[in-house]
Amino acid sequence: MKLRKNFLNILILTLCLLLSTGTVLAQPVTITFWHAMSGSRLGVLESIIDDFNATHPDYEVTPLFTGTYAETLTKYVTAYPSKTGPNIVQVYEVGTQTMIDSGAITPVYEIPGMLGETWDWAQYVIPITNYYSVDGNLWSMPFNSSTAMLYYNKDLFKEAGLDPNKPPTTWKEMEEYGEKFLASGVVDHVYSTGWPDWIFEQALAIHDHLYADNDNGRSGLAKKVVFNDDFGHMIFDTWTRLHNKGIYIFGGTEYDANSAFISGQIAMLIQSTSSLAGIIKASEFEVGTSFYPRFEGYPVGNSIIGGGSLWVTKGQSEEELRGVWEFLKYLGQEDIAIQWHKGTGYFPVSGAALKTLLDEGWFSEDQAYLTAFLQILSGRRDTAASTGVRLGPFVAMREDLVSGLEKALAGELSPKDALDEAAEKMNLKLKDYLELYGQ
Amino acid sequence: MNEDKFPGHNFLPYLLIAPSVAVIFIFLIGPFGQSIYESFFVSTPFGTNTIYVGLRNYIRLFSSPDYLNSVTATFKFAAFVIIIGLSISLAIAQLLNQRIRGVGFYQVALIWTYAISPTIAGVIWASMFSPATGLVPYIISKLSSGYTLNWMTNGQLALFIVAVAATWKMLGYNIIFFLAGLQNVPNEFLEAARIDGASSWKAFWRITFPMLSPTTSFLLFVNILYAFFQVFGLIDIMTRGGPGNATELLVYKLYRDGFIHLNTGSASAQSFVIFFVISVVAIIQLRIVTQKAIYSR
Repeated sequence: MKLRKNFLNILILTLCLLLSTGTVLAQPVTITFWHAMSGSRLGVLESIIDDFNATHPDYEVTPLFTGTYAETLTKYVTAYPSKTGPNIVQVYEVGTQTMIDSGAITPVYEIPGMLGETWDWAQYVIPITNYYSVDGNLWSMPFNSSTAMLYYNKDLFKEAGLDPNKPPTTWKEMEEYGEKFLASGVVDHVYSTGWPDWIFEQALAIHDHLYADNDNGRSGLAKKVVFNDDFGHMIFDTWTRLHNKGIYIFGGTEYDANSAFISGQIAMLIQSTSSLAGIIKASEFEVGTSFYPRFEGYPVGNSIIGGGSLWVTKGQSEEELRGVWEFLKYLGQEDIAIQWHKGTGYFPVSGAALKTLLDEGWFSEDQAYLTAFLQILSGRRDTAASTGVRLGPFVAMREDLVSGLEKALAGELSPKDALDEAAEKMNLKLKDYLELYGQ
Repeated sequence: MNEDKFPGHNFLPYLLIAPSVAVIFIFLIGPFGQSIYESFFVSTPFGTNTIYVGLRNYIRLFSSPDYLNSVTATFKFAAFVIIIGLSISLAIAQLLNQRIRGVGFYQVALIWTYAISPTIAGVIWASMFSPATGLVPYIISKLSSGYTLNWMTNGQLALFIVAVAATWKMLGYNIIFFLAGLQNVPNEFLEAARIDGASSWKAFWRITFPMLSPTTSFLLFVNILYAFFQVFGLIDIMTRGGPGNATELLVYKLYRDGFIHLNTGSASAQSFVIFFVISVVAIIQLRIVTQKAIYSR
């Protein structure tokens, strides 16, 4: 009995102590941040956050790795109803429409106004902010943005008797180079890609071709996909033909193809620019980079943005929101954007960072880092087709496209039928989405 | 009688089992009921809108070629894992159940696959068969002067490799149980048979195999559950259901639709379908196989 009384006393004392420290010491406001950055990116992100916490004693950003992009989004969705979600969540570009329609977030363009500040959004790189904007207003903070480009192995080009300073610029040249490579016997297969679904989106966008109606879903919810026309069929035809010739080898849906490129098994790779730092570090040959190959004689568009952006949960206290805003501003800061770019290969989001990188000779030291910028800044950006696709059930739709491509490559269906079948499945998903969102 | 065991406390027995019943209701029956309920609706990921659609989720499933493919793939996969897996395990267990030198080493070497996590097993098999850098495609390409073994574009091959990996992964578990079963078969029976002139082949089928039937039926059940439910990790690491849905087994499709595509209605309908299939299999199993098993000597 006495023991229990003692125990109770201790319990009460501890509680008092806990409560009093909260009032006596000004605790930093905790900002939770869920992200999907693994591998070498994680280290760079963590050091940026540590620096933020050290320089901003009022706030404490606590990052939490929540798995892949898809897993992170799922966790966010399930945590939302019970209000156990984070203050900031990183979502991949395919989840953009889901987040816009979620009713769960505060668009970032509203945040400065809510805190009585004004903010110049034009300081960020425009093609990047365009992707995440609705009617010109930025909904999420661009963070890790990338685009797709061509990587090639200069040493293998020399071995095969090709000019290492003349990478292929068109798909016709991809085929010609491919045949030369195979004839030379330097490699068994010539090129592969990561993210085939996204590479397909890129192929449409750089030729200013729409993916879905309603301006790629940017002026209203899309009702159907529009890529299964002659142009789309030609893309699938070309890829299947190159595959059947042994030039193209299918390299999985994400980053599996990188290891084949790094080990010199293939001579070229079409992959996200975010793999650049990793590829340069891991490969023992001279890495060349160039623009995504074009189909000759078709209109010029632009390569589109991929990667992730940061979304802010709705209904936070003003204190928390202020911390979130400080953190978002910090990430866009020149030196931080440069640190992020150098560590990962993702675009620095701020225009000022771009100039500093140029001034300090970063690009002339390794021109490979410049390719992505030139590509994205040299294309047009006044059309929806060149800005990017925004669809509700995009995650599931992309999988339909990949399985369509896989069926075409395996010879299960003709390229045309495979693409048409994929389009049909995707249209059904769009219809369901429209039904749910009442339009 | 219960009243005798707890005189004067009529409700005590119920009180005592209440915690277990509560756990079962909260964690099993409740969610099960909820998922049946949700299978009649479609809803937005964040639950902002929910529409009653009746049986549409089910109709969609059975009219979707992808789902029917998934059913076929699942049964092919399960048949391979169960039939080939159990046969090989029994053969190996029989070999291990002999007096040979270093039998302990062989036993451990063949059993340890069970201790490997599905993730590691998946990574091992995936890198072994990686089209551009894997060892197996390399050897095959050298032996056949240039044939490319690419499971990332060959659905049937992918399903086969995943099934082999899953079988390999379960081998250790099956062997342990078969070995234990074999060691329980009384030697006198086998000796008597041998004296009567039975070949070892005949002795195996007439004596050992029937006496193993409790073990076999237990393993059959465990392997069915394994093939239907527990291969998730292996699939997720190795193929993610690809290429072209070829290895999208039922349980994996459910995961993708529910947790990646955030389509809870369809996923709930799928979970009910799997529940139904497994119940039928379990009932057949319990009715036929277990009744035939010889438990007494």
